[in-house]
Amino acid sequence: MIDTRINRRSVLAGGLATAGLAALSGCTPAQGSQTTTLQFWHLLSGGDGITMQGMIDRVNAAHGGFHVRPTVLAWGAPYYTKLAMAGAGGRAPDLAVMHSSRVPGYVPGGLLDPWDLTQLNELGVSESTFTDPVWNSSVVDGELYSVALDAHPFIALYNTEICEEAGVLNSDGQLMRPNNPEDFLEMCREIAGVTGTYGLSYGFIGDGNQMWRLFYTLYCQHGQQMTFPQGGSVEVDGDAFTAVLEFMHRLVDGEVASPRGTIDAAVAEFAAQRTGMHFTGVWELPPMKEAGVPVGATMIPPIFGDEAVYADSHSFVLPHQADPDEQMRRDTYTVVAELLKNSITWAGAGHIPAYLPVTENEDYAELTPQAEYAEAADYLVYDPVAWFTGSGSNFVQQFGQIVGSAITSGSGYDRALEEFRRYVNNLLAQPNPANPQGGRS
Amino acid sequence: MTDVMAGRSAAGPEPRVTPGEDSKGRRTSPTRGQASRRGQLVAWAFLGPFMAAFLLFVIWPLIHGIYLSLTDQSLTGAGGSFVGLENYSEALSDPVMWSSIGNTVWFTVITTVPLVLLALIMALLVNTGLPGQWLWRLSFFMPFLLASTVISQIWVWIFNPQIGAANDILSAIGIEPIAWLQTAHVDLISIAIATIWWTVGFNFLLYLAALQNIPDLQYEAAAVDGAGRWRQLFSITIPQLGPVTGVILVLQMLASLKLFDQAYQMMEGGSSETSRPIVQYIFEAGFVGYRFGYASAISYIFFVLILIVGIFQMVVLRNRKGNS
Repeated sequence: MIDTRINRRSVLAGGLATAGLAALSGCTPAQGSQTTTLQFWHLLSGGDGITMQGMIDRVNAAHGGFHVRPTVLAWGAPYYTKLAMAGAGGRAPDLAVMHSSRVPGYVPGGLLDPWDLTQLNELGVSESTFTDPVWNSSVVDGELYSVALDAHPFIALYNTEICEEAGVLNSDGQLMRPNNPEDFLEMCREIAGVTGTYGLSYGFIGDGNQMWRLFYTLYCQHGQQMTFPQGGSVEVDGDAFTAVLEFMHRLVDGEVASPRGTIDAAVAEFAAQRTGMHFTGVWELPPMKEAGVPVGATMIPPIFGDEAVYADSHSFVLPHQADPDEQMRRDTYTVVAELLKNSITWAGAGHIPAYLPVTENEDYAELTPQAEYAEAADYLVYDPVAWFTGSGSNFVQQFGQIVGSAITSGSGYDRALEEFRRYVNNLLAQPNPANPQGGRS
Repeated sequence: MTDVMAGRSAAGPEPRVTPGEDSKGRRTSPTRGQASRRGQLVAWAFLGPFMAAFLLFVIWPLIHGIYLSLTDQSLTGAGGSFVGLENYSEALSDPVMWSSIGNTVWFTVITTVPLVLLALIMALLVNTGLPGQWLWRLSFFMPFLLASTVISQIWVWIFNPQIGAANDILSAIGIEPIAWLQTAHVDLISIAIATIWWTVGFNFLLYLAALQNIPDLQYEAAAVDGAGRWRQLFSITIPQLGPVTGVILVLQMLASLKLFDQAYQMMEGGSSETSRPIVQYIFEAGFVGYRFGYASAISYIFFVLILIVGIFQMVVLRNRKGNS
C-alpha cells in the first residue's frame, strides 16, 4: 500500500518536473540546432531599453547563425556588482554594456577582455570612426577595453517659445551662448521674467551625480581637467574649484533656479513649461518631446571660457571568459559592429552616436534638435580616470556630500576644497578593491 | 531504519526485549524503547530539511564570514589572502563606521520611544469607545500592510523640498520650507517619521488587544473605591500593560537596529553621513566597494554590539521579573 502511494507521488512529481521543464524551454524562442545564443547584459531601461530591444531584434532577424538574448538590469551600483560577480563566478555574459567611465576600475581585476583591433577593423570599426575623446576614453593601459555606442552628455534643454519671448534666441532660433558668468545669469533672469517662476530647472539637492555633472562641466571650462594618480595625490586647481562652487551657489539663488531643486522636481517643472531652461542629460530629451514641450537643445554655454561637455558613454565590453568559444566571440564582434552601424535609431533617444559614419550621415543632420549638439562629441570630458570614479560610483555621491552645503549656503568653499582633496587622496592611497594585490591575478 | 535495528541487536550481547509474536501468532506492538527510537527518527526526518537549510544558509555563512573577515577577499574573486586582524583595526579606526553605528543607534532611540508612546495613546483613545471602532483600527493599521518600497516612494514625494506636501503644510502655517531628506541631521529624522507612520499600527494593535484583556472587574472595583479615570490609568491600565510593553520594546529595538530598506530607498541609493545606517555601510563596503573581507569585519563588530544589547536586555528583564 505504502509502496503504491510513493509510486503515485513520484509519478506526479516527475510529471510536474517535466511540465516545468517544458514551460521553461517554452521561454526561449524556437531555434534551429545550429543557432547559438549570445548572452547580452545591459542597463538600458525605459525608452532607451525599448530602442535597444528594437536594434537587437533587427540584428537577430538579419542573422541566422546566432541569437542575441538580452538581460536588462537596473542601472547603478547593483548592475556593476552583478557584472563583477558573474565574471568572478565564471558565468560572465558574452557581451555587456558598461559606462566607459567605469571601465578603468574593472580592467586591473581581470574582469574584462580587450577587443581585438584587427577583427574590429575588418568589420569597419577603428580609431578613425570615433572622435578623439571617445576613443581615448575606451583605451586602458594601451589596449581597447570598450567600444563606445554613444556619448550621453550633460546639456542644456530650452523651451523655444519661452526663450524667444525672453529674447534670448539668436537669429537662427537657437539659444544664445554667453561666455561669462554674469551674462549667463542675466540671460536666466530674462527667462525668469517671462515664466514668473525660475529661469532654469536644475535638480541637485541630495544628488551627487547631478552636482558632479554640472560642476565638472564648469571646472573643465577653465581649460583643465583633474588628475587622480593612483598612490599619489590629486591634481586640482583650487581657484577653479571654488569659482565653480560660488557660481553654482549664485545659480540656485531662488531667482535663476530653485535652491531646493531635486531631479524629479526639475523634470516636472520643465515638462510643465514653468521654466525656460533645464540642465540635464540628453536622455531627458525624448520624454520632454512627448510631453509636448517645444524643446531645443544645446551644449552648456562656455560660461568660464572654454567649451567642455561632461559626458559618459554606454560602451560594449567583453566580460572575461576563461576559455571563450571562438565562433561565439566572432559573432559577438559582428553584433557590436551591426549595432554601431544602426545607431541612428539610438540617436532618437537623445544620445550622440559614437560611430562617426552615423553622425556624418545626412539622416543625422536632419534629426532635430539632436544635430544641434552633435559637435559636443569634440568637446567631451569624462570622469578623471581612477578605480573609484564613474557613473553611479560612491565617489560622485560623496562629492555631493562634500560640496552640497557650500552650494546651498554660499560659504565654506575652501573647506569643501580641502575636504575633497583629503577624500580623494585617501582613496588614491587605497588599492583597487577589484584587485587588492595590485597585479593581475 | 533496518540498519539501526540490526546494529542495535548486534551490539546488545543479550537483548532481553525482542520484538515477538504472541501465542496466537499476531505481531505485538513495538516495545517502548523502539517506539521512542522510531519517534526520534521521525522527528529527525521532519527536522532534517530545516537543519540542512539552517546549516547551509545560517551556520556555514556565519563561520565562513569570520574567515572572510580575516582576508582581503574581493567580490570580483581577486584577493583572498590572509591579512590577520587588519580589517578589524581598520574598521575600528574608520570614522564612517562609527558614524553609521551612531546613526543606527540614534534612529533606534528616535523611533522606539514614539512608537511605544504613540501606539499606547492611540490604543487608549480607541479603547475609550469612540464610535466607528473598525475605521480607527483599519486606518491606524493599514500603513503597516504596505511594502517598504511603497512607503518610501510615498514619503519621498511628501518630503520633496520643492513640490512636496510636507513643505506645503509648513508654508501654510508660516514656517520656512525644509529640504527634508537632503539636509544633514534632518534626513534621519525624516526617515524616522516615515517609519513611525508605517509601523505604529502594529504596536497599536498589540496594545489594543492587551487593553481589551484587562478585566472590567478591576475598573469597577477601583471605581467603587473612588479612583478617578487618571488614577485608574496609572494604577491599573499601565501596570497591566507591562508585559506587552516589554515585548514591544524588544521587537521594536530589533527592528530599528536592522534599519536598511526605507533608508536606502528614501535616499534613492545615495547616502549621507548623517543618515547612513550601519547595515547600509556593510552593503556599500561589500557590494558597491567590492571589499568582502572588510564588510565581513564590520558585520562582526556590529554583531558583537547587538549581542551586548541583547544580553543587557535579558539581564534587565530577568531582574525585573525577580523583583516583581
